[in-house]
Amino acid sequence: MDFRFDIVTDYMPFFLRGMGITIGVSLAGVLIGLILGLIIALGKMSSNKWIRLPFNIYINIFRGTPLLVQLLIIHFGIVPMFMSPSNPLVSLVIGLSLNSAAYIAEIFRAGIQSIDKGQMEAARSLGMTRVQAMKLVILPQAVKRVIPPLGNEFIVLLKESSLGSVLAAPELMYWGRAAAGQYIRVWEPYITVALIYLVLTLSLTYLMNYVERRLSTDDQR
Amino acid sequence: MINVKNLKKSFGNNEVLKDISVDVAPQEVVVVIGPSGSGKSTFIRCLNMLENINGGHVMIDGKDLTDKKTNINEVRTDVGMVFQHFNLFPHKTILENITLAPINVRGMKKAEAEEKARVLLAKVGLAEKASAYPESLSGGQKQRVAIARALAMEPKVMLFDEPTSALDPEMVGEVLEVMKQLARDGMTMIVVTHEMGFAREVGDRVIFMDNGYIVEQNEPKALFDAPQHERTKAFLSKVL
Ligand SMILES: Nc1ncnc2c1ncn2[C@@H]1O[C@H](COP(=O)(O)OP(=O)(O)OP(=O)(O)O)[C@@H](O)[C@H]1O
Ligand SMILES: [Mg+2]
Repeated sequence: MDFRFDIVTDYMPFFLRGMGITIGVSLAGVLIGLILGLIIALGKMSSNKWIRLPFNIYINIFRGTPLLVQLLIIHFGIVPMFMSPSNPLVSLVIGLSLNSAAYIAEIFRAGIQSIDKGQMEAARSLGMTRVQAMKLVILPQAVKRVIPPLGNEFIVLLKESSLGSVLAAPELMYWGRAAAGQYIRVWEPYITVALIYLVLTLSLTYLMNYVERRLSTDDQR
Repeated sequence: MINVKNLKKSFGNNEVLKDISVDVAPQEVVVVIGPSGSGKSTFIRCLNMLENINGGHVMIDGKDLTDKKTNINEVRTDVGMVFQHFNLFPHKTILENITLAPINVRGMKKAEAEEKARVLLAKVGLAEKASAYPESLSGGQKQRVAIARALAMEPKVMLFDEPTSALDPEMVGEVLEVMKQLARDGMTMIVVTHEMGFAREVGDRVIFMDNGYIVEQNEPKALFDAPQHERTKAFLSKVL
């Protein structure tokens, strides 16, 4: 088998641009997902079951159906209602955000509920409101515990953003498929794209390990 | 100061407090004893609504906790609570543990709160630990910080739920000493404890609880030396 490096070099500018977009949409996805996820997590922990219900439904729908299906519905069904023509990048960011919000909500909930309930009781017994206790006592402690699973979620999202290629969002995988189509070749474009994903996810893993080590030494002060 | 009338509390079908009525006068020190599962913790947790009350009334300094119009957070600032497992905030220094509520709940200035916190820390003998974190403290030190933290809100009443039960024996004394000082200073206190020596020495009254009822209450000497009820006798014979 001859490996045509010229295809790789020809397409490198597009791969790099695609990589930038992949990083961008994934980052936007987790950031929006973080905010929505926190709200959903708090909603799901409400003591009122009627408030909990819609948040539960949300989480079940977004975790229980394939992201690809969600993206297609969002891009071809929902986004066209308020944007025409619908922009695949916008659809991709919306899809990734809504999807990651469901997973991040569960990460937050697990993190918050892992904090000893005596902490909430101590805070409340000092006269703090529920919101104050969350903000000043529970969340600062929960943050440390949710950082590792959030890192995982970011890595998952980065890989899943490749589904954006189906919407023709010009991220990394889109350019891989474009190159494959133009040269009618499989190995060169897909191996290159795979390697770029690998570099991204391994760098992230390394970064997460570093952050985790820092947090655990903080614990020992 | 505290008036409890026909207090009832259930967890599901398990009726834990059946009909508790008791009044506590200002500056009185009331010690609550009783077998495990008799409802002692549940009782004092009802006094600041850490448990929802199912029936009856709890009045703290004239405010009825069961009244929907009562601001429970406000009442809680008047009721300090010390837990068996300290429940210090591990992400805050000792000083921050003590100033957190005064600053955020009372709206006190940081400098003023810190100054007060240092006075309280000195009072519990831990002045030099202000900038340490809870995990570097021994159990006895943690519990003394927890007491200082509760006192920082200037409560009118202090509740203690087995404050020395999680401590190594050699640390029990230092915590009891702080509590005795507090009693001498005139704090109204309700203390759940197995420390009968403490009950005898500083208690104005001892309440014996069993199975969700107050079986018997009296001055410590009378209750310990001449218990009236069989169940009290049986319990005391096991612990004394
Ligand atoms: N949150 C809860 N949910 C359900 N049942 C509970 C809860 N808290 C306490 N109970 C039950 O209420 C009863 C009384 O418990 P409580 O903790 O008040 O007893 P206690 O007198 O403090 O005992 P101990 O000396 O062991 O601390 C027990 O049967 C316990 O199982
Ligand atoms: Mg108890």
